[in-house]
Amino acid sequence: MLDMSTGITLVRRQSISGRLRALSFVGGLGTGFFITFLVLVSSGVEPASILNEFVVQVFFDLHGLAQATTTAIPLILAGLGAAAAMKLRFWNIGIEGQVWAGAIAATGVAFYDIGPESIRLYVMLLAAILAGAAWIAIPVFFKLRYGVNEIIMTLLMAYVIFQLVQHLLFGPWQDPSASFPVSPHFDDAERLSRIGWGAVHNGLWVALGFGALMWVLLERSKFGYCATAVGHNPLAAKGTGLPVITTIVISVLLSGGLAGLAGGVITSGAEYRLTQFLAHGYTFSGIVIAFLARFRPALVVVVAFLVGGVYVAGDTLKVFYGLSEAIVILIEGIILLSLLVWEFFSRYHIEFVKQRVPA
Amino acid sequence: MLPVATDQIMQAQATMTHALELKAISKSFDGKEALRKASFNVRWGEVHALLGENGAGKSTIMNVATGIYSPDEGSVHINEQPVAVRSPGDAIRHGIGMVHQHYRLVKRFSVAENIVLACGDIQNLTSTSAAASAVAEKAAEVGFDVSAHAIVGQLSIAEQQRVEILKVLLLGASIIILDEPTAVLTDQESRAILAFCRRMAEAGHAVVLITHKLREVLEFSDRVTVMRHGETVLDGADTSGLDVDILSRHMIGEPSLAMDELNASLGDPCLTVSNLVVPSPNGTIGVEGISVSVREGEILGIAGVGGNGQQQLADALMGLTACENGSIRLGENDITNDNVTRRRQAGLRAVPADRFASGLIADMTIAENLAMTRLADGEFGGYFTLSRRTMRKEAEDAISDHDIRGAAPTRQTRLLSGGNAQKLLLARELSGSTRLLVAHSPTRGLDIKACNTVHSLIRKFVESGAACLLISEDLEEILTLSTRVAVISRGKVVGEFPKQEATPEKIGALMMGHA
Amino acid sequence: MSSAFFLNWFATIPDYAAPLLLAALGLIICERSGVINLGAEGLMAVGAMSAVIVSFNTSSPALAMAVGTISATALAVIFGIAVVYFKTNQVLSGLAIVALGAGITGVAGRAVAHQPVPGFERLNMGFLSEIPWIGKIVFSQNIMIYVCIVIVIVTWWAIETTRYGLKLRAVGEDPATADTAGVDVLFYRFIAVLCSGAFCGLAGAYLSIASSQVWVEGMIAGRGWIAIALVIFARWRPLRALAGAILFAGADSLIPRLQAIGADIPVYLMLALPYVLTLAVLIIPAVLFKRADVSPSALGLDYLRQDRH
Repeated sequence: MLDMSTGITLVRRQSISGRLRALSFVGGLGTGFFITFLVLVSSGVEPASILNEFVVQVFFDLHGLAQATTTAIPLILAGLGAAAAMKLRFWNIGIEGQVWAGAIAATGVAFYDIGPESIRLYVMLLAAILAGAAWIAIPVFFKLRYGVNEIIMTLLMAYVIFQLVQHLLFGPWQDPSASFPVSPHFDDAERLSRIGWGAVHNGLWVALGFGALMWVLLERSKFGYCATAVGHNPLAAKGTGLPVITTIVISVLLSGGLAGLAGGVITSGAEYRLTQFLAHGYTFSGIVIAFLARFRPALVVVVAFLVGGVYVAGDTLKVFYGLSEAIVILIEGIILLSLLVWEFFSRYHIEFVKQRVPA
Repeated sequence: MLPVATDQIMQAQATMTHALELKAISKSFDGKEALRKASFNVRWGEVHALLGENGAGKSTIMNVATGIYSPDEGSVHINEQPVAVRSPGDAIRHGIGMVHQHYRLVKRFSVAENIVLACGDIQNLTSTSAAASAVAEKAAEVGFDVSAHAIVGQLSIAEQQRVEILKVLLLGASIIILDEPTAVLTDQESRAILAFCRRMAEAGHAVVLITHKLREVLEFSDRVTVMRHGETVLDGADTSGLDVDILSRHMIGEPSLAMDELNASLGDPCLTVSNLVVPSPNGTIGVEGISVSVREGEILGIAGVGGNGQQQLADALMGLTACENGSIRLGENDITNDNVTRRRQAGLRAVPADRFASGLIADMTIAENLAMTRLADGEFGGYFTLSRRTMRKEAEDAISDHDIRGAAPTRQTRLLSGGNAQKLLLARELSGSTRLLVAHSPTRGLDIKACNTVHSLIRKFVESGAACLLISEDLEEILTLSTRVAVISRGKVVGEFPKQEATPEKIGALMMGHA
Repeated sequence: MSSAFFLNWFATIPDYAAPLLLAALGLIICERSGVINLGAEGLMAVGAMSAVIVSFNTSSPALAMAVGTISATALAVIFGIAVVYFKTNQVLSGLAIVALGAGITGVAGRAVAHQPVPGFERLNMGFLSEIPWIGKIVFSQNIMIYVCIVIVIVTWWAIETTRYGLKLRAVGEDPATADTAGVDVLFYRFIAVLCSGAFCGLAGAYLSIASSQVWVEGMIAGRGWIAIALVIFARWRPLRALAGAILFAGADSLIPRLQAIGADIPVYLMLALPYVLTLAVLIIPAVLFKRADVSPSALGLDYLRQDRH
């Protein structure tokens, strides 16, 4: 007696066509959006208003667009930072820590009035970059020299510096006139001025400028070529004489520096002081943006803008539906996981094998 | 004493029935056809050689028999009955046991733990102590010397193979498939294992010997099946009445050709290594005081069983690992403390053992891979800028010069076949002012044609006045290519011969450490 | 400092050690099978929050612990399906689980945030609890501490001595070999992921129900990550994880003791101590000793039988 039986076999594809890649990306996004939709509806948001809150009010409304753009400014920088490290397979899971470092440095420069007022703002932003880079220099050193796991190092260092922020805000830097743990407001010379469209400030040009710089660096220069090679196969890169360590160090320091700059831009462009929650959520947002943009700087700018829109919509939901702001990270998590799962369909070829077997 | 086959097998043997038969098997991987209506059968009580080049489909068809791959078409028969082998577990239940080329042993487990893992459910060996006594018993039965409590990773390759064979026997396998069992053994060890195969067959088992070595086939097998390009081209012919020429014609479609003598005159010393000591990570053998020199116009072959310090030697020469002691000189220059870039600039090039692990980057384009070594010299743009157009242009030239099939400058390198990837690597490494090539197993996994291309590229390179250090575990390759042979064992050079004095026996004895 | 200070300090150590230990044990099971689970922080959050919802509504801490365990396991099912069967990147999927955990608890936990809930009392074992020092430190803990000790021993026994443990370790060391031996590699990995979910859920539930008897957003406060560091520190061994958890908890529990005696130290810098200590135990051994890598050989790698091995 013979019986037909079916088994499933997976075969890894040798190369993945652009069409397949696009299909799995669209499938992942679609599934992610659908699950998000279900989650929102089950949390009490009216189905009809979801499109309105997430698309119309954000991207087709001048006010909403300005808000999304403002939110996107530090997200662009965090996303660029995440991309710079992830491209090299260095897991910077401590972006929040570097954002804090940048915010502390910028606030410090403002608090102690360091440098002449005419260039104070530049000193603040520069200090933010250096502080972010310095904060990640510690894990990159121990990773490269002693092989210590960078995922946990970068992450724990974010917790450490958050306690330092608490210490400063409840102690030496607390604004005596405020009952909350916040630092005193910055002077006018220490603020990024607004460009006259909602709350959008000059930080936009800083972020776009760094986006362009990273594009040239990662996609048009020899450095970018080395970074690609090291990211794909560090052993082969070393064997062919490429400067592996230098490439990793520069990329990762850039990653920290960009995240630090995000902190500087948040303090000097949006908050005008150091607060307790300003870096909240940047690690994951940065990673999601970099991943969605496939580590390509130009796409990071676009994706960061879209994620900024999600933040804005999340704020609206918080106000009108009483949802927690955690909804934003929930949506990001759902979309990331959905995209990851959908990659399966492009990476593997699924074969249904029929085999004649005796019953 | 050998294990005596069961009554059932004896009966089957008496009627000369097929123990295992694979009929019209087809299998493709992601559109690439690996087997095309291939067939194979083995009878009880015989050693059946399955011969073919690398990539001919020998391992693939046997992986079908052992349930690792499921065939797209065709059927598997055991004792002339159709069966479904959907998983390795099914294969074991049908009495099929395979000694894989890469032993299926957990390196960090003891021998007994490995036996529990493999045989626990089937033979009810659920504790390591029960497994240990079973191992001791079986080892005594077949005349192996194996300690059940040894950690597998600390055993020699030959000892690990014995553990793997014991495992298969303890599983109750009566159809035993050995995949290239002699690939990494010395001459003496190989003969011992092949003689063991004969004894197993005489005791009634069906033994399949997958190999690409003609001499083994002629000397140790009863019948032979030859595969080429995924097809069976000679189906179970009696070995008596066959010779090397017939077999090699079936295997590669043409008779084997002898190489001419290398036409190069000896020049100045090119590479001088003295007292080199290279530490090794976690307990494996490093380089423990090696002194060798290679002159221009010379190919020095370093023979040895894998894992005796070859990798560390190659890495140290290229500057991938630091030396603890000793010096490396390239011509007049001391390069001991130079980094990879400086060594390359001095004229040192390398073909690593695993081309996609440390030579080429599979996910980058062919043009990018070709340009990789010359970026540091300020080519393809300035210090910062990158000229992709120059890269593409030069890649087009290299592809046509070296006849790299299936290549285009912007194509992903992973899509190249093994032979063409190796040609690409050599095209890159042999360009420019190269003085010394360190070639580590340059033909591993290649078919004979590609093998010959690589060999003639290396010869041409040396004939032009350069030098080559050839590190290989394949003794045949060492003997065909080298002008001088050194033997490495336990991180030391234990003997050196001019080509005329280098015989497989002499080298084999040194490789095993019986100097 | 008086002996009362040390007595009070030592007596609180088990309470700080238990959640770290439970999470680390789950992660050890998971990593020994070859899967890196970075989602511990999210799994613990879900366990903590759902346990509080149950305890708040039913006043049954035991039921709360069970539900906390189950709900984190449910989240681990998603992670397991993704990384094991869909072979997604383990690092990114783990981070996504952290995000989901933070998101779910943030959205669903609002109703019970800051509400006191019933938890476990310290046991009184009669004369045993009266023994000086030992009585208070060893025989007066809440019931979960003793459950925890049983769990450590059972986990150690299961991984290191049983045949299933052997198969689990084989899957994490050399999946191709395990597969040839007839072990269902993906199923073992999936179950190991579920175990890590259950253990992390129990750890989270312990934090909210047994330790603090309240749910606050962000209360896991990096303990999931510290547990991951603890796995590395313990070199993937359950009994070493016990020792490591006690060490970490010793530092952690010192802070409130010092505050209690009114020591003049900057509070927030003290609060950074557990993280600094964790960094130190990761870095210092790596700098001082050149030890062999003992991480499971196939850690982080997906397995596909059809790949040519």
